[in-house]
Amino acid sequence: MAHFSMPCSSLGRKEWGLLSLLGVLAIWPWFMGAFVLHLAILTSLNVLIVNGLSIIARSGQLSFGHAAFAAVGAYVSVLLSVEFGLPILLTSAIGLLMAALVALLLGWVILRLKGVYFVLVTFSFGELMRLALLDWGELTGGANGIANIAPITLFDFAFDSRSRFYALALLVAFLSMLLMRRLFASHFGQAIDAVYENPALAESTGLSVHRIQIVAFVLGSMLAALGGILQARYIGYISPESFNPGISVAFITMLVIGGQRSVWGPLVGALLLTPLPELFRGAVHTQNIFYGAALILILRFMPGGLASLMSLFKRTEDKK
Amino acid sequence: MDWSVLLAQATINGLIVGLLYLLMAVGFTLVFGVMRMVNFAHGEFYMLGAVSAYFLTTWLQLPFLAAVAVTFFGSVLFGGLLEWLILQPFRRDELNGMIVTIGMAMILQNLALILCGPDPLSMPAVVEGTLQVAGIFIPYSRIYVVFFALLVLALLYGYLKYSRPGRALRAVVEDFEIASIQGIRARIYYPLGFGLGVGLASIAGALMAPLFSVSPFVGATPLLKAFIVVVLGGLGSIPGAAFAGLVLGLIESYASLFFSSSTADMMIFALVMVMLVLRPKGLLGKGEV
Repeated sequence: MAHFSMPCSSLGRKEWGLLSLLGVLAIWPWFMGAFVLHLAILTSLNVLIVNGLSIIARSGQLSFGHAAFAAVGAYVSVLLSVEFGLPILLTSAIGLLMAALVALLLGWVILRLKGVYFVLVTFSFGELMRLALLDWGELTGGANGIANIAPITLFDFAFDSRSRFYALALLVAFLSMLLMRRLFASHFGQAIDAVYENPALAESTGLSVHRIQIVAFVLGSMLAALGGILQARYIGYISPESFNPGISVAFITMLVIGGQRSVWGPLVGALLLTPLPELFRGAVHTQNIFYGAALILILRFMPGGLASLMSLFKRTEDKK
Repeated sequence: MDWSVLLAQATINGLIVGLLYLLMAVGFTLVFGVMRMVNFAHGEFYMLGAVSAYFLTTWLQLPFLAAVAVTFFGSVLFGGLLEWLILQPFRRDELNGMIVTIGMAMILQNLALILCGPDPLSMPAVVEGTLQVAGIFIPYSRIYVVFFALLVLALLYGYLKYSRPGRALRAVVEDFEIASIQGIRARIYYPLGFGLGVGLASIAGALMAPLFSVSPFVGATPLLKAFIVVVLGGLGSIPGAAFAGLVLGLIESYASLFFSSSTADMMIFALVMVMLVLRPKGLLGKGEV
């Protein structure tokens, strides 16, 4: 299996070109002022969160409550900091664990059933999370949310400016990309893909479809929770509407347009769709109609998403 | 007010809301049964029905019943057309078909927002006055709506049970492959099934428009309820959806006597999870697992 473990060694010249282009693109925001930095931070966080969604999607399930797990992470970690003054690393760890626990419980119940139940229940879970956060006003601030959240401070270094936070967000996004590459080159990643391709066959070769899907769901939801934690610390404000089901649908849109079956899909989707609302400023409705149409057209004519253009690229190179 | 009156009032209200859930969920589960597709645009068709009833009665001055009828037949046609134009390549493709319906929902909702703005519109009541029996108050407009919802259900039941296309449709829901071996043509029954599901959602919207407000956002809650009803009733089971719709309406109405509405919603979600563990086939045990 040695040839599976090192995907990086086989990079062609064009891929190196692509990677250096990405590198330049990642450094560029530091020289472009506050607004571009802000977009770059949001994009990096979306890459992380959509990577999580991608892990779940590649096991053959689509989570419609992805934003709700970001909410679990964000609210748990922020509330622990505010109410008990616990250190940031500890509250973040507890936030991640809580999200994992919720995903484990939900997954254990629904993943025994057909895929459609997963959709129905995760969607309802997302909506109920919003209602619960609105309802428990004394704890969560209700519709007003929680404001003035302190920035992340690690070893006396505060990530309190945009250029500092971007370094952190970029690092996390990069690590999540690395995780995706490693994961889907590993045995477990191949098991996830096998479960997607043919669950019955995967089961008959000794893989537990149920267990693999649960692990993918837990892992993916933890990435969402991490994104939620970071977002809360960056913006300094959370409310139930920061994580409503519409946000979950936005993540799905990024994944589908970027590419559901490719490691690059979440990156492409987040890179393209996070800054896009700025082009449609003042015309949110037109933007959403555009998104809707893009979803339908992509699925009809390019089911692999925009990332599939890249493999097209590669294939022509191979032919030469 | 004493408890028996309060309970009776809650029962009446619960049945009315339950009828709404029932209409939504039956259409939803019908579409799922035929197309194997979770229709995320179902709530938007409810919204379109409400908006259409509003404009037909206030702008064109049509009588309410005529407006409901026009809305229903218009949306069956519209739904059939959408299926034929957009959903055709995604038939029985669970995951991608579902995402396509999300795209449709986004387009429909935002078109409605552009056309009629975000502000809620209120439709005049169909009839005035209130019936008072043994201390219970029921506005005539609600009785009116309940009557026509029941009529729609009776017609739907008759159509599915006795007419040729209705029976063919049920056969497709039951088992697609065996139905097609028997010579039932998918070309006709996909658009028909989807159109009928859309028609049911929009007639629910049209009937409920005079009771609740009308805006491009009204579709979200009925969609969520349809999801919950379908899980409770068992996926793909039409009788299950009907039964669970009424049960959910009643539970919500009783729970609202004791709890805030979001607490009640969360308890129902917990109930859904328990159902999925103990009895995933649904209340009547006819759904698919």
